[in-house]
Amino acid sequence: MLNAWRWWRGIIIAFSLVAIGRLFLPLPFVNEVLIFSIYTIGCNFLLGRVGFISFGQPAYLAIGAYGTAFYLFYFGTNPYIGILAGVTAGFIFALIVAPLFVRLRSDYFALVNLALAVIIFYMMQKVLVKITKGDNGLWFLTNITSTPILDLTKPSDFFIFALLIAIVLWAFYKYVDGTIFGACCLATKINETKFQFLGYSNFRIRLMAFVIANTSTALAGCLYAVYLGSVSPEITSPSRTADPIVVTILGGVGTLFGPLVGTIAYTGLRDVISKMIGNWELFIGFILVFIMLTNSSGLYGGAENALNKWLEKARVSNLNKKKPK
Amino acid sequence: MDIQLLFSGVIFGLSLASIYFLISIGLSLCFGLMRIISLDQLLYYSIGAYITYSVVTVSNNFWLGIIAGVMVGGLVAFIVERLIFRRIYERELTFSMITSFGILLGGIGIIKAIWGVIPRPIKPPFANQIDLLGTDVPAYRILVIAIAGLVYIGIWLFLNKTIIGKAIRAGIEDMNHVEGLGINASRLFTITFVLAGALSALGGGLYAPLIMVDPSMGLEILAFVFMVVIIGGLGSIKGTLISSIIVGQVVSIGSLIYAPLAIMAPFAMMLIILLIKPTGLYGNKLNK
Amino acid sequence: MTNSFSSLEVIQLNAAYGESKVLFDINFKVFPNEIVACVGRNGSGKTTLLKSISGFIKLSSGEVNIPNHNLVGLHPFQIAQLGIKYVPQDKKVFSDLTVRENLELGSYASKDYNWEPVFNYFPKLKLLLDRKAGFLSGGERQMLMIGRAILGAPKLLLIDEPTEGLAPSIVTHLRHVFTELSKKTSIVIVEQNLPLICALANRVYAIREGRIVAELTTPDEITPNVCEPYL
Repeated sequence: MLNAWRWWRGIIIAFSLVAIGRLFLPLPFVNEVLIFSIYTIGCNFLLGRVGFISFGQPAYLAIGAYGTAFYLFYFGTNPYIGILAGVTAGFIFALIVAPLFVRLRSDYFALVNLALAVIIFYMMQKVLVKITKGDNGLWFLTNITSTPILDLTKPSDFFIFALLIAIVLWAFYKYVDGTIFGACCLATKINETKFQFLGYSNFRIRLMAFVIANTSTALAGCLYAVYLGSVSPEITSPSRTADPIVVTILGGVGTLFGPLVGTIAYTGLRDVISKMIGNWELFIGFILVFIMLTNSSGLYGGAENALNKWLEKARVSNLNKKKPK
Repeated sequence: MDIQLLFSGVIFGLSLASIYFLISIGLSLCFGLMRIISLDQLLYYSIGAYITYSVVTVSNNFWLGIIAGVMVGGLVAFIVERLIFRRIYERELTFSMITSFGILLGGIGIIKAIWGVIPRPIKPPFANQIDLLGTDVPAYRILVIAIAGLVYIGIWLFLNKTIIGKAIRAGIEDMNHVEGLGINASRLFTITFVLAGALSALGGGLYAPLIMVDPSMGLEILAFVFMVVIIGGLGSIKGTLISSIIVGQVVSIGSLIYAPLAIMAPFAMMLIILLIKPTGLYGNKLNK
Repeated sequence: MTNSFSSLEVIQLNAAYGESKVLFDINFKVFPNEIVACVGRNGSGKTTLLKSISGFIKLSSGEVNIPNHNLVGLHPFQIAQLGIKYVPQDKKVFSDLTVRENLELGSYASKDYNWEPVFNYFPKLKLLLDRKAGFLSGGERQMLMIGRAILGAPKLLLIDEPTEGLAPSIVTHLRHVFTELSKKTSIVIVEQNLPLICALANRVYAIREGRIVAELTTPDEITPNVCEPYL
């Protein structure tokens, strides 16, 4: 019983704080925070555990978003099925591109994904304009039916839904991290030759990690679609490509709650900074370079390190007190 | 298709290739020698364009603008190399990718602050058309192609006939051995980085009259430059030249046939080449 | 700084790769114009020692001194400029450059454009000047590496397993070269080839698991029988 509590402790505390925040902060803000952090955790997993950076996360976001959008615009009205459709689309898409992408060296991987994001943007904007309605976007808010228990058209109900999804997703990632698979991901990042010599396949581990990470990214897209009630190519515009990376670094690469903390900081700062300075790129660029150069572990990572150091100090001084004189 | 249209498409593609080439050499050299991904080259490209714009507005002399653009671009590259990249040479690739992307973004912010967000036009130094093989082609584009050709020859001479160039080629093979001989590695790195920045700035200045100068111009061309670099293989000058020409033609002729091809085709080509050779046409395995 | 008697003095050197310590409290001296050999099993730390002295690996602690200079903390190229040249065991030359260009780089770094001494030791290199170094045989590469390194009249050569994989005739040739070289330059040579070492070396250090376990200084001691157990 105690072990289960310990395992769940962090997640429960974190999301309870978010739930409490709902009472003080504007609802759109907390909803945005939830969806965006789901968007980011995939990127965080890829970079922090597998060592791959992707400049093209908007591509997978868009696949999920448009998957849900197509369903709700053309076929049905149930938002849950819409989300399922989008996630399935994301999963299949990730599965298709994975075998090629995952073979690439880390820099090629990053840039190929960037090119992919640009392609998807272009496709949604121009090539498939007949079904996507291009820049006008697909609007289907009125299509979504109210479902029993939780009516996803209501932002307050949506919040509860998103919160539950987030808790499940975080638990999933935490679980994965603790499995052999999670250890393997880290191993391929640290020393891929040695990993091979141990008899594992770098390729297969990376493939699975890629599909997992980008399916959860697609899930974020589906949530955006249902929440906003519309989808336009802007969601995958190349200028948004930096967002998940910045948030990942800001929060702390490879930490479980980095995406959450990073998103809160990023989204909060964005509104504040835009009003004050108005020059968003300068601020972001400076933050990125600063974090990289100072080797910091990001907001959450740094806090985690500081907390651990403090706990360690406390434990050592306790031990010293107990030593017989 | 109309032969004349095709021909002007080829010329258009070659002028595109010239610009891609100027930016991509920098990227390729920086990777080959220093094992970094220098996304901030796109910033020096933008700086080259903007400085050219400002100088042209004040002095009405295009070539003065180009020279100023190249010098400022090189100078900013020098400062960035000394302040930032110097500290991160030994780190893994993703590190330089993220950091250089941060520099690019920050630089775009500074450009916005100085020049504002409205796109600005520059007049080309001469607007004549010349008659080439029965088709009217803009003389300026021919000049751009010629300049890129001269740059290629210049780079070749530099790398093959000067001692610093040979040291760079040796460093691309094995930097430790070069240091072991007693050659100053950090000076070599700085020279290469500044050269890359100056070339990217030249590309920006030359391209400026053909497009509008705007703060996100670096981001817009980023995907294409990287497709060139990936197809050609990071670290190879010859590969960069060849893939610039290929991508330039594909984009140009492709857009004549069916507009979306302009971006889909290079991408498809890149994927196919990567399937066969994951390091690009002339790329090498990363050996650190 | 050393007293003027020794060419190189290593004091309590400790080195590590990340978290794993590789060299422990190494004390090591080289006198002018002598050949010092380092023997030890694979993985005992011989190469790490040479790399630490020449600046390619950072020391955890300790001193590395030559007359008038303290080498710790200097960049490898600075140490090379001070007259300490490291010849690695990988038999790598700049394959895309010709032999001539390889030597040109050595000359550029050392400001010594007199290649006569190099051709005196290795006449074959004169014939190979315009061949791309990538097409040289193993022995020819080794000759080029050493030839490049002696430009600028270095005070100390650190040579890592030069005869590995080479034909006996070339090994003999190298032995003569090293003997000649030692009249002007001190040499530290890491080798597994015991007969060669015993014919060449004035002193032998034996390294095991990162520590110096023996120093052999007399001709009686420097015989294959005595050295063998340390391998």
